[in-house]
Amino acid sequence: MAASTTGRKPIAWGDLLVALGVVGFGVYFLQGAYRIKVLPSYSNIGPRFFPFLVAYALLACGVVLTVQALRGVRGLPEEAEDVDADAPTDWRALVIMGAALLLNLLLMRTAGFIVASTVLYLGVAVAFHERNWLRAVLIGAALSTAIYLAFTDLLGLTLPAGIVPL
Amino acid sequence: MLETLEALLHGFSIALTWQNLLWALAGVTLGTMVGILPGIGPALTVALLLPVTFNLDPIASFIMFAGIYYGGMYGGSTTSILLNTPGESASIITAIEGNQMARRGRGAAALATAAIGSFVAGTIATVALTFVAPVMVRVGLAFGPADYFALMVLAFTTVTAVLGSSLARGLTSLLFGIGLGMVGIDLQSGQARYTLGSLELLDGINVITVAVGLFAVGETFYVASRLRRGKQDVEAIKGSIWMNRQEWARSWRPWIRGALLGFPLGSLPAGGAEIPTFLSYTIEKRLSKRPEEFGKGAIEGVAGPEAANNSAAAGVLVPLLTLGIPTSATAAIMLAAFQQFGLQPGPLLFQRAPDLVWGLIASLYVGNAMLLVLNLPLVGMWVRLLTIPRPLLYAGILVFATLGVYSLSNSIVDLITLYAIGAVGFLMRRFGFPVAPAVIGMILGPLAEQQFRRALAISQGDYTVFFTRPLSLTLMVVAALALLVPIALDMRAKRKGRTVEVDD
Repeated sequence: MAASTTGRKPIAWGDLLVALGVVGFGVYFLQGAYRIKVLPSYSNIGPRFFPFLVAYALLACGVVLTVQALRGVRGLPEEAEDVDADAPTDWRALVIMGAALLLNLLLMRTAGFIVASTVLYLGVAVAFHERNWLRAVLIGAALSTAIYLAFTDLLGLTLPAGIVPL
Repeated sequence: MLETLEALLHGFSIALTWQNLLWALAGVTLGTMVGILPGIGPALTVALLLPVTFNLDPIASFIMFAGIYYGGMYGGSTTSILLNTPGESASIITAIEGNQMARRGRGAAALATAAIGSFVAGTIATVALTFVAPVMVRVGLAFGPADYFALMVLAFTTVTAVLGSSLARGLTSLLFGIGLGMVGIDLQSGQARYTLGSLELLDGINVITVAVGLFAVGETFYVASRLRRGKQDVEAIKGSIWMNRQEWARSWRPWIRGALLGFPLGSLPAGGAEIPTFLSYTIEKRLSKRPEEFGKGAIEGVAGPEAANNSAAAGVLVPLLTLGIPTSATAAIMLAAFQQFGLQPGPLLFQRAPDLVWGLIASLYVGNAMLLVLNLPLVGMWVRLLTIPRPLLYAGILVFATLGVYSLSNSIVDLITLYAIGAVGFLMRRFGFPVAPAVIGMILGPLAEQQFRRALAISQGDYTVFFTRPLSLTLMVVAALALLVPIALDMRAKRKGRTVEVDD
């Protein structure tokens, strides 16, 4: 290997970003802990103690992870049934799925649950390389309608009706 | 002893009413289904069902949840035998041996020894649970707040040390969960913490939102980002589902050994079924007269680990029910379910809600019997689930995830929180952070803080209270060891590794 000639592994940039994110979380919890009000009359261990504990521990973890990432230690991607852990990240799928979730947020209150869920269903299916869009739309619409009717008629819960007249 | 039997009989009188039998059947059916399907597991299923069961009778709900919990274990083994792609870590072992058996045309025997072994071990472990639980309740009653806090610290450290490959990553996940659990009004002082000035956050972040975000949204993002392409081979089930005499002879001892190994290890706050399954595999390999068959489809290598897996799952219920300590993600969600019904698991639960506890335990016997029937003769039906096209499956999972969280309080803020936590869950999987500690931390964190402050209130601010009581001292020492021993082993391994490098 080329890297072994220098005796050092290259910096793991992705892991480094995540490690700095952990440090960021630690800082956030720390400044949040200072903002918790403590009544002077309160004599017992107050509401600040645990937040400080968590914040400092998170900072410590973040520092350890940062050092590891600088030394080139990578976290191993999780194994799962449908996952090829060695595959490169499929950015196209992530962007489509992100867009599907965003659309779902925007459509839920305006177009209603059935439309929002059908769009979400189609979006996720396309992110997973579904070729037959019509099939995905039909199944998504059938599923959302069935859920809508079961929730509103059988369970007596409310879901936004939106533009679908049911 | 006699009291326990009486209580159990009373439990059966509750579990065997036809309504509760139906709930148990619904639970085990759903559990088997989600156990077989990739991308969805028992923890996520129970979390999604929590809002729907809000108006249901608690006993019926828990009988169903227990069915889902046990059913998930059975279903998981079917997937790992017929699909050569390891899923959850507890079933990796089964995947090796069981899949090899299936390829050599003995898939039916592998499924049979897994299902019957799960039944035998599950039943042995449920009997053990029945008689150990009352003893643990008596122990639990002697616990003071300091002891409880020490026990929770032990659960935290073992869960982070066992799950995942790196201690720093496990701890980060745990602390993230504890941090999420702190959001909202502090119940003891009435002060708001980390609410960003938002009224919605005063009540805290809902556990369901976090669990569904980490498990459903995070998992779907992660699978989408590196989907296994190409056709997956589902092995056809060949051979008779009835094992032959030799297969029985080679299976029954591993079943019993697996059961005896799984239950005690599962009941320790060391979390999960991974260690007992690996241990069982190693032991069976060592004891086998045909060690050369291991790795190529040895039936003992399916029978033992599967039995250990199920037995450990029953063991996990001991600390959950008697002490209120969850040691796996599913157990943590079950604890949240108890809280939803205004109940706190622990020694007092056995006095306050005996109908619930014993009805639940009795339903475990019933559920195990149902699962044997569901998984042996009917396995062919379940296998079809494995052929569902992945785009349609994962799209459905996300629709249900969104529905479950939105229906909590019809709030878009909840959905935004869900997707944000999903993004965190994706990054955690991508960069090797175990997810379960976050869920356990979120649920156990507030309880740990409560016990911590209660202990210090009793001792009037004296911190030595955690180290002067023999019980809490012991637990603290064990907790410290659980953290330090892996670090020490790691450093030793590294030092050895370095000398090897120098030798090069």
